Amino acid sequence: MTTPAPRVLVVDDEPQIVRGLKIILRSAGYAVEAAETKAEAMASLASRPPDALVLDLVLPDGSGVELVGEIRRWSQLPVLVLSAVGDEREKVRALDAGADDYVTKPFGTDELLARLRALLRRSLEPGGTPEVELGELVIDLQDRRVIRSGREVHLTPIEFDIVRVLAQHQGRLVMHRQLLQEVWGPQYVDETHYLRVHMAHIRAKLENDPSRPRYLITEPGVGYRLRDPST
Amino acid sequence: MSRSPRTWGLTAVEIVIAVAVATGGVAALEGVTPAEGLGILYLLAVLAIAIRRGQLAALLTALLSVLTFNFLFITPRHRLEIAHSRDVVNLVVLLIAAIVVGRLASIGRERAAEAESRARIAAAREREAKLLAEVASSILPGRSIAAQLRIIGNLVAATTGATAARVALEHAPSPGADELALPLHGPRTAWLYVTRDASWSRGEIERIAEPLGRLIDVAVERERVADQAAETEASRRAEVAKTAVLHAISHDLRSPLTAIATAVGGLRATLVTEAEREELIDVINEETARLGKLVDDLLDLSRIESGAVAPRADWTDLRDVVASAVMQSRSDARIEVELPEDLPLVRADAAQLERVFSNLIDNAVKFSPPGEPVRITGGASGGRVVVRVSDRGPGIPRKDRLRVFEPFFRSAGDRSSGSGLGLSISRGFVEANGGQIILQPGADAGTSFAVSFPAARPSPDGPPADGADAGPGPEAAEPRARAPR
Repeated sequence: MTTPAPRVLVVDDEPQIVRGLKIILRSAGYAVEAAETKAEAMASLASRPPDALVLDLVLPDGSGVELVGEIRRWSQLPVLVLSAVGDEREKVRALDAGADDYVTKPFGTDELLARLRALLRRSLEPGGTPEVELGELVIDLQDRRVIRSGREVHLTPIEFDIVRVLAQHQGRLVMHRQLLQEVWGPQYVDETHYLRVHMAHIRAKLENDPSRPRYLITEPGVGYRLRDPST
Repeated sequence: MSRSPRTWGLTAVEIVIAVAVATGGVAALEGVTPAEGLGILYLLAVLAIAIRRGQLAALLTALLSVLTFNFLFITPRHRLEIAHSRDVVNLVVLLIAAIVVGRLASIGRERAAEAESRARIAAAREREAKLLAEVASSILPGRSIAAQLRIIGNLVAATTGATAARVALEHAPSPGADELALPLHGPRTAWLYVTRDASWSRGEIERIAEPLGRLIDVAVERERVADQAAETEASRRAEVAKTAVLHAISHDLRSPLTAIATAVGGLRATLVTEAEREELIDVINEETARLGKLVDDLLDLSRIESGAVAPRADWTDLRDVVASAVMQSRSDARIEVELPEDLPLVRADAAQLERVFSNLIDNAVKFSPPGEPVRITGGASGGRVVVRVSDRGPGIPRKDRLRVFEPFFRSAGDRSSGSGLGLSISRGFVEANGGQIILQPGADAGTSFAVSFPAARPSPDGPPADGADAGPGPEAAEPRARAPR
């Protein structure tokens, strides 16, 4: 390896989860540090800023939401939240406060690593690419075309814009508000029903089985994600 | 105006006296002034009667005065004839003046009487209003309806001058021998009973019946609403508690599950060293045990809460139970047991008590600072056997002491991996076995849980007092239910 390993700070007060996470992340090529409390996390962030943060929402000395809020005042550090069924409200608050994505406990290792990779890709390679390839889909951002299995699919301008925004954040969660703002404009951020209608049309054109989407994944109550089905 | 004949008789006497006095006056002054000019004295008589007896009496007085004056003083005297036309004018003027004066005086008199009766009515209304206001302010939240009705009865009695008064919510009246029964109108049927010695008339008391009925209705309604609110609040609290328990269970189940899932994910990863594999397997083992313990605890708790514990009571030596619980403790912390050898036996389910002491010891070990031992002491006094499990940890904050036995309760700052069920299960088992468990904050620091049972025999020597079937003799002291869980 020519570049140093990306550094990940895991903040969780369950020592057994941290033990497992450390090994998984280390074996996936990350350098891992751990903190049990909000205070420890702040100290670690200040002394050796990591490349990404994996954060449990429930900490002994406060909420992960508060920590996200504090970090966002001075850093765009990617933050992946560990949430639990039943903590949906906290999860949404964390995302509103600036967290980038989440996995729900108990999470699959592959899912966690894929999300983390997507977050780090954003921060390590700014700019992005003009063409995104996902399985049998090619999204050409420059020429505003989508090709599925070698044949061009006709999308309306709005439909293409939705796909474009998701492709620019490929693999990452895009919240409803962000999608509405980038496609329609800031005054439409609450009109989530626009998204439902258009998403149904897009899925009908891009998915083999629109009722079981492989590319365009719904994150209930939060947003959408464009996923590469091969990962 | 309805007046009794007796009043009329009195009036007639007064008229005669008034006319006689005026006549006497005229006769006395006749020597000084000509009598014809003295007829004016009769106006005084008319005035006096008008003020005292009203218009009709005044008119009679005027007529009698004119006749008397004419008969006694107008020429020709002692006849009702009038010689001079001047005297006719005099008499007519006197008559008119008498009538007018009488009328004016009697109007004044009626006004005065009216004002007086108005004042009387106003005073009666004021008493009624005062009573109703007192009743209204006696309707306070937090009092039972029976207490409210008693207070209302006392107020009515005090105001109406009766020896006693009471209000009853009943469909048909049931007055006592010396009681008036008055219906209290309102949406509910209620009756007011007042002893007959009241200074208020029945009519006066009836006047307050309707407003009183409405006030009582307000009181009844208020109690009903308060009851309902209390019920709603209770069910809301139960709901909150249920939600908290569900939340706690899901959190406690998920943490070990997440740790296991993460460790399994790690085992699948390619670049894991042998040492790391060992560590991940340890995590899976430990967390599986933790899940198992949690499931056991939940099961115990549900059995305790549904009353399905069914202890198998037997002669039990708490020293054996404690020794066995200490041996089960996997911790390498120091546990000092100082129980007297003559500790009386108790009748209890030894297996359940072992769970109790295991939980208490685990708890104490968890909170003990490194190097500080957990101490188990005890003794017998007042017919009870007490065993205390004490630690020298940080102690339990005062505000949490009442709640430590609640399921899933954890003190703020308790970051241990326990289920938060140990103490509630312990209490459940202790109470099911007829014992008591209390929290005794340490004198300096630390926490002490005291478990006590009634001693099963008064003295450590000799066989247990009752029951050959329980197996008397020294060998009965051997705990029987020592089978591992």
